[in-house]
Amino acid sequence: MPAIVRILARRLATSLVVLIGVSILIFAIARIIPGDPARIALGPNATADAVAVLRDKLHLNDSIIAQYGYFIADLFHGDLGISLYTNRAVTRDIADFLPATLELVFVSGLMMVMLGIPLGVLSARYRGTWIDHTIRLVTLLGVSAPGFVWAVILMLVFAYFVPIFPVAGRLSDGSGFQPITGFLLFDTLISGNIRAFGDALWHLILPAFALALSGIGQAARLVRSNMVETYNKPYIEMVEAYGFSARRIANRYAFRPSLIPSLTIIGLDFAAMLGNAFLVESVYAWPGLSKYGVAVILRKDLNAIVGTVLIISAMFLIVNIIVDLLVSVVNPRIRLSERPA
Amino acid sequence: MTAPTLKIENLKLGFKLWSGMIEVLHGISLHIGKGERVALVGESGSGKSVTARIVLGMLQEMSSARISGGLTFEGIDLDKLKPRDRHHLRGTRMSMIFQDPTSSLNPVYPIFTQFREVLARANPAISDAEARMKAITALADVSINEPERVLDSYAFQLSGGMNQRVMIAMALANNPSLLLADEPGTALDVTVQAQTLKLMSDLVEQHGTSVLFISHNLGVVREFADRVYVIYKGRIVEQGLTKQLFSNPQHPYTRALLAAVPRITGGGIPDIAEDTAGFHDPLIAHPGASEKELLS
Repeated sequence: MPAIVRILARRLATSLVVLIGVSILIFAIARIIPGDPARIALGPNATADAVAVLRDKLHLNDSIIAQYGYFIADLFHGDLGISLYTNRAVTRDIADFLPATLELVFVSGLMMVMLGIPLGVLSARYRGTWIDHTIRLVTLLGVSAPGFVWAVILMLVFAYFVPIFPVAGRLSDGSGFQPITGFLLFDTLISGNIRAFGDALWHLILPAFALALSGIGQAARLVRSNMVETYNKPYIEMVEAYGFSARRIANRYAFRPSLIPSLTIIGLDFAAMLGNAFLVESVYAWPGLSKYGVAVILRKDLNAIVGTVLIISAMFLIVNIIVDLLVSVVNPRIRLSERPA
Repeated sequence: MTAPTLKIENLKLGFKLWSGMIEVLHGISLHIGKGERVALVGESGSGKSVTARIVLGMLQEMSSARISGGLTFEGIDLDKLKPRDRHHLRGTRMSMIFQDPTSSLNPVYPIFTQFREVLARANPAISDAEARMKAITALADVSINEPERVLDSYAFQLSGGMNQRVMIAMALANNPSLLLADEPGTALDVTVQAQTLKLMSDLVEQHGTSVLFISHNLGVVREFADRVYVIYKGRIVEQGLTKQLFSNPQHPYTRALLAAVPRITGGGIPDIAEDTAGFHDPLIAHPGASEKELLS
C-alpha cells in the first residue's frame, strides 16, 4: 500500500474520533447554556402548555445521555433535527448556507496561497533589499488589521467612493440565475452562463480579498522567515558554490525545504477563515453558514448549533488532512518513515 | 612555464559593519600549479574558508564585504571577467567540497536531482538518460556499489561516508581544473574520513585536478599535500614543501600548531602555551618555496 494511502487511512480514522469528541462536547455545551430553547423558540407569549409540548418533542426532559442517544440515532439517518429558528431541517439549512461560505473561503484561500507564497519567496530571495522591505511593510499592514476592518475599508473605497465592485450580495438583482448546487462560480460555468459567472466573480472578489488579506500577509511573512533560515543551510551554500542560478535556488532548493514548516500554519490559517468569515459575511450581506451559525447560537437553536459546529469541525479536519498529505508529498522524510503497520 | 591554475596576490578582505571595518585577510598571496595539491592550514577563524569563497566569487555578492587584490585563474584575471562569465566557472571549471556532506545535500530532493543539475552546469542540454549514465559512472568511480539505488535515495537515507563519496563524485563530475576542499569530511569519523580522502586523492591525481586543501588537521595535510601554507589571523606566516615544513617548522605559530596535535603514544593532550609571542612574526618561506621563486 503506498505511503500516501496509509497516511490518509490513519488520518481519516483519527478524524472520526475527533468528530465524535466534538459532537459530545458541543452537544453538552449547547444544553448547558442557560435559557430554555423551547421558550425562546415560541416567544414570551406562548402558553406554558405549548412550551411543555415542545420540550417533550425535543426530548428536553430526558437525561442528557438519552438525548445524545436520540441525536446519534438520527444522525445515522442523515438527520440533524429541525432548526427552531428557520423551522426547516438543519441539513437543509446547511446545504443552503454552506456553499456560499465554502466558495468565499475557498477563493480567499486561493488568494492567500497564490499571492502570499510568491510574495514570501520574492521577499526571501531579495532579502535586505528594497523589494524585501516593501513586501514586509505591505504584508505587515495586512496582518495588523482583522478581516472585517479590511472588509469595511475595501467596501468604502472600491464599492462606494470608486464604485468598481458591488457593495453586497452574491449576484446582481434581477440576474434571474437559479443556483443548482449553491456554488455559484461552478453553477454558472456548467450552465454556460458566462455573464452570470462574471457577475458572481465580481461580487466575490472584495469579500474574498478582505478575508484573505491577513492570511496573505501571514503566509508571506511565514514563507519569508522560513526561507531566510533555509538560505543559511549548508545545502544552499553548496548549490551556490556550484553556480546554480539564483532563481532556481529560490524557487526550488530553498523554497521546498522551507515549505514544510510553512504549510502546516497556512493550512490552519485556511481553516480559521471559516470562523473569520462571519464578520466579513455580515459586512457584505453574504448569505453564508458563518452568519447562520451565529444567529442560531444567539437563539439557542440546539439542533442547528450542533449541526453547524459539526460541519465546521469536519471542514477543519478535511483541510488538516489535505495539509498533512501535502506535507508528506513535500517532505520525503515523512513519506519514507511511514512503515506498514 | 604555464600559468598556475590559481594565483592569489595580496588578497585583502574586510567587512564593513556598523561599528566600523573588520579586517579578516591582511593581504595573502598563494598559488597552485597545474595538478598541484596545496594545503592552507590554520585554526578556526584564520581566514581559510573565506579565501575559498572569494575564489568562487561568493563573498563578492555580500554588500558588506570589501575585497582587494589579484585573483588569476588559468592566466585569466577573474576580476576583469564579466560577472556572468565568472559565475559560469562555478561548478564547471572550479568546484568545492564541504565539511559536512550530509547537510550539504538538499534534504527534499533525491541525489539524482542535484547530480543532474550539477552536470547541466557544464552541459545545459544534457538529457535525463545521459545525466543518469554519467552520474552512475561518476558514482562507480568513487567506489559506490549500487549507484542506481544511491541516485534515487535522499541524503538522510545514506551514511555520512556515502554522502561524502557522492560529494566527491559531484565535485569531479564536470572535470574541473580546480577543486576547493574546505575541511572535507571533518564532520565524519576518522576512519571514514581517511577512506574518502584517499579516494579523493587518487581521483584528483587521475584527473590532473589542482586542489586547494583547507584544513586544520595536520596529519591529513602531511599525507595529502605537496605544499603547505600556514595561515594565522589573516596572514600567511609560513610556506614550504610539505616535507620541509613538517621536518623543520620555522615560524613560532607553526611550531605551536604542530605541538598542539594530541599524541596517541601517550602524554594526552599537550599543554598549549598561552603565550602568543612571535605568532605575528613576518612570513617565513622555506628555501625554494617562496612565491617569487616558484612563480619565476
